[in-house]
Amino acid sequence: MQESKSYKPRDVAGKLARTFLHNPLTPVLGVFLLIIGYISLEIMPREEDPQISVAGGTIIVPMPGATPREVENIIVNPLERKIKEIKGVEHIYGIAMANVGIVNVMYYIGEDREKANLNLYDKVMQNMDLLPKGAMQPLVKPFDVDIDIPIVTIDFYRKPGSKISETDLFKLVRDVQQRLNRIENVSKTAIKGGSREQYNIQVDLGKLSGYHLSLGQIVQAIKALAVNVPDVKGRTEDGKLVIFGVKNAIESIKDVQNLIVAQYMGSPIYLKNVASVTAGSDIQNYKKVLMTQREGEKFSELHDAVTLELGKLAGSNAVVIADEIKEHLKALEPKLKEMGVGYMLTRDYGKRADDAVNELVSHILITIAIIAVMLIFFLGWKESLIVTFTVPAILAITLFIAYLSGQTINRITLFAFLLSLGLLVDAAIIVIENIHRHLHAHDAVDKDIDEIMVQATDEIGAPTNIATLAIILTMVPMAFVGGMMGQFMKPIPENVPVALVASLVVAYIFTPYLGRRLLKKPHMHHHHHHWNKEKPQPEGGAK
Amino acid sequence: MKRFESFVFNILGSNTKQWLVIGATLAALAGSIMMLPTKLVLAKMLPGKSANTFSIYIHTPTDSSIEETRRVGECVVGLLQKEPEITDVEVYLGQGAPLDYAGMVKGSGFKNSENEAEIVVNLTDKHEREEPSFMMVHRLRPVIKGNCEPLKNGTVIEMVEQPAGPPTLAAVVAEIYGENYDHIYALSQKVAEIFKKTEGLADINIMADDPYKKFELVPNSDKISRSGLSVEQVNKILYLAFEGMVVAPKNSRNYPDQIGLFVRLSDKTRRLANSSRRALETKLASLKLMNKKGMLVPISELVEIVEIDAPPTLMQKDLRRMINVTAEADLVSQVYPLLDAREKIMDELSKEYEITTTDYLFNLRLKDRKSGEVFDLRWDGEMKVTLDTFRDLGAAFIAALILIFLLLVVYYKNFTISGIVLAGSFLSIIGVIVGHWVADVVTEHTFFLTATSLIGFIALMGISSRNSLLLIDFAKALMEEKGFDKQHAIAVASATRAKPIMLTAIAIILGSALLASDPIFGGLGVALISGTVAAVVVSLIFIPVLMYRAKAMDFKKEE
Repeated sequence: MQESKSYKPRDVAGKLARTFLHNPLTPVLGVFLLIIGYISLEIMPREEDPQISVAGGTIIVPMPGATPREVENIIVNPLERKIKEIKGVEHIYGIAMANVGIVNVMYYIGEDREKANLNLYDKVMQNMDLLPKGAMQPLVKPFDVDIDIPIVTIDFYRKPGSKISETDLFKLVRDVQQRLNRIENVSKTAIKGGSREQYNIQVDLGKLSGYHLSLGQIVQAIKALAVNVPDVKGRTEDGKLVIFGVKNAIESIKDVQNLIVAQYMGSPIYLKNVASVTAGSDIQNYKKVLMTQREGEKFSELHDAVTLELGKLAGSNAVVIADEIKEHLKALEPKLKEMGVGYMLTRDYGKRADDAVNELVSHILITIAIIAVMLIFFLGWKESLIVTFTVPAILAITLFIAYLSGQTINRITLFAFLLSLGLLVDAAIIVIENIHRHLHAHDAVDKDIDEIMVQATDEIGAPTNIATLAIILTMVPMAFVGGMMGQFMKPIPENVPVALVASLVVAYIFTPYLGRRLLKKPHMHHHHHHWNKEKPQPEGGAK
Repeated sequence: MKRFESFVFNILGSNTKQWLVIGATLAALAGSIMMLPTKLVLAKMLPGKSANTFSIYIHTPTDSSIEETRRVGECVVGLLQKEPEITDVEVYLGQGAPLDYAGMVKGSGFKNSENEAEIVVNLTDKHEREEPSFMMVHRLRPVIKGNCEPLKNGTVIEMVEQPAGPPTLAAVVAEIYGENYDHIYALSQKVAEIFKKTEGLADINIMADDPYKKFELVPNSDKISRSGLSVEQVNKILYLAFEGMVVAPKNSRNYPDQIGLFVRLSDKTRRLANSSRRALETKLASLKLMNKKGMLVPISELVEIVEIDAPPTLMQKDLRRMINVTAEADLVSQVYPLLDAREKIMDELSKEYEITTTDYLFNLRLKDRKSGEVFDLRWDGEMKVTLDTFRDLGAAFIAALILIFLLLVVYYKNFTISGIVLAGSFLSIIGVIVGHWVADVVTEHTFFLTATSLIGFIALMGISSRNSLLLIDFAKALMEEKGFDKQHAIAVASATRAKPIMLTAIAIILGSALLASDPIFGGLGVALISGTVAAVVVSLIFIPVLMYRAKAMDFKKEE
């Protein structure tokens, strides 16, 4: 390593500059940084909004026949008192309805979710003995934002003239659900709307009294018919197995229609005599999904639809999963078309996340370009090139560290980058400006160029370090902002300080290194070098 | 450069000019801060975000049927179908739409009754659309509510936008606590009435059951047991007859779910003629139970029909009975309508209640003048998040000030110089506030001072402290190393450091230019741009004056 002889650096800035000035590994390091940054950008999970860890859950205790006031007194109040014993609970919401008591528990934002869920479950289980008579087993459902919020929803509907029925459509969507659930990292899937197949036995009250029957008898008769029994293992005399089983008596709707419910005046009464028995859909279900979509200029009529919703595992990439889902749907298209079924993507968070990320990335690139152009005017194109190089290097380091610490790329992370852009070119600008000033100073001719580089970097080291430290200090308290908003903007205090430290290191290592190779002393009194070009006098640019 | 140097030199030379600079700076500071209470600059947590989707929640009165809810939904869809920018609409009847961030806190996942519906509206891409989604919601709100809410008396339609930041229950939530449910409900209706009269608030909803009548069948246990029947049988048969039940399942080989065998009375014989008590009695007379002896007994013989008020669902928060009254802010910051509404509450309800303020900020305590019953009114929702966030960010800001001050004291080992730097950083607030005012005047919509503006301001402190730092360092070096006199050294330092200060400032301004156009980070962009401009002016003119007047800046050439 070639040392600068006369100048002894005092600050870490100068020391870094001197160490890396002639190190052959410096360009390798630079390329390496850019590569890991790019890789991080590609493999980090993308989301639109940062994940907010919300811990909490819902406890549902059904108690048939109880009035709201009873539920409040014997279920909600005791349960709430018990929940109050758990540490870290912020709010408890109790809802006492007829037949059911619900208690929602919200932990303070930022509480460890796994532990909080476990505590909640524990507390309920420990106090099962306090449950009043007549109350049913409590249900404990923890919130899980990651899997509860679907990233893709697809609406399936029958096109006009479709041959299949509503129940067939539901069957089809169930099948699609099973297929899409196979995709890696797809977690919770659910279906909204649609009609399940059901045998409807609609009893005519008038006929019932005509035959002198009660509803109870009919229910008894149906229950007796619909029995499933396991196979029976019979044995032969010589110890071999003979397996036989009773066939389910209900094979088709006919079997139900021809069920004998009673005898009347010696002749059998079939179920079909007193009720309309049809194979149809669940008529008692009032939950429906309707949709209308644009078809050219006009909208289609409001028609029934079935919504399939797909969630993802925490920390997985919404963009990749959404793309894969779309690919699978494409493959299914011919089959759907044949059956006269249309589908429409009604939510695509993958695309939204990708759009948001790409938009911000392009903003970052444009901003870098604008700053580069500005620097050409004020400092010269070589200096501008050097500063411009430092930006991707700094962002690469920051991205890589964000990746290591398990963050995702989202609106707020990128926003932290945008915010730091204006700040992180500063270190490089200050270094390059000082180098520039020294190169154009009167005594520059007599000095070794290496020495100038190291000295110029070292000189502004101390105030720049302090100033950068000051900016970092302003960011630190932001990490302690509480509540949802604090969680939401967490990427800012997490990433901006990292970017600022990286900007210092990069400015001290690469700016002198690149300066040594790109910048030359301006042509002055002596003709040391014939290849010196005329430099534009940048002094005129400012003020 | 030379001209700027002599400009600074000149100011430092005259005591009057120095005081002029200090006076002008303080006036600017006072003037800009006055823009907040005079509402020239409005504060809000986060501005609206243009999204490609929004939702509409329909709450019909608690005793509405799904058919009635559907009719309201169809009315809304009919209006939406006239919009050219809408691509598709999904209606979820009797249930919540697939969960999203807004729905998560608004209890969309718990919706499970015939009087609820949610509508998801998808729009064309926001880049190809001129009207931002929040303007569209603002425009459609009166149309939809005006046309569809009257279809069923007591219906509330809520327009729900995608939150720009963390989701909240509603923009304005008034939690009304008390002991007696009926009294809480009465008070919440009064509060809701005041909200309705308050400009800027929309979609007012009382989150409680609407009162309705129901028939209670009182079983006559004497008659029941003498007929050889049980109350349980009566209950079961009533449920079976009118609601229906899956009495047995059938497993199927080629069907993914079990097939249920569902029993209910046929539509013709099930439906009542009308909703009167007589109609119910007639129906119950024809519904019969069979006792052990094989005799059929009509249900109407076994029960007595009484009309009562349905017991409402009871809500509690933190072990106290409570009812929420929610409202959305229609395109405005929720802070100001809330303050208006609060004033009206204190004014209009003061006849019946004795109103005092309580612990946290705007909360109220109402004491009934006659009965002495005490109610608490607490604000929650976006308002509370806003207050908490601004409070926390304010604390973060003060913490940052202290940390920088300590850092500077360590570096300079002098309180006065550290104080000068700090004063310089704080003054960038002039730029931040004025910048927001200018942005508000220039842009079409209201430009709010938001949480992101505050973040920008905090970041600015660091930036402007660096300007002062480099300036002081340079002037100190000139005095110590080259033996310049104070006035000269400060003037030269200002002129020399002007270039890097301007350069970094321009870098920040250009770097934030794109941010300023973003709906959410716009506040930060504007704060950075205008704050930087102020910081440059302050550090090049005001700071030199302070430096000159400070004794701590008297450095001598080291021999």
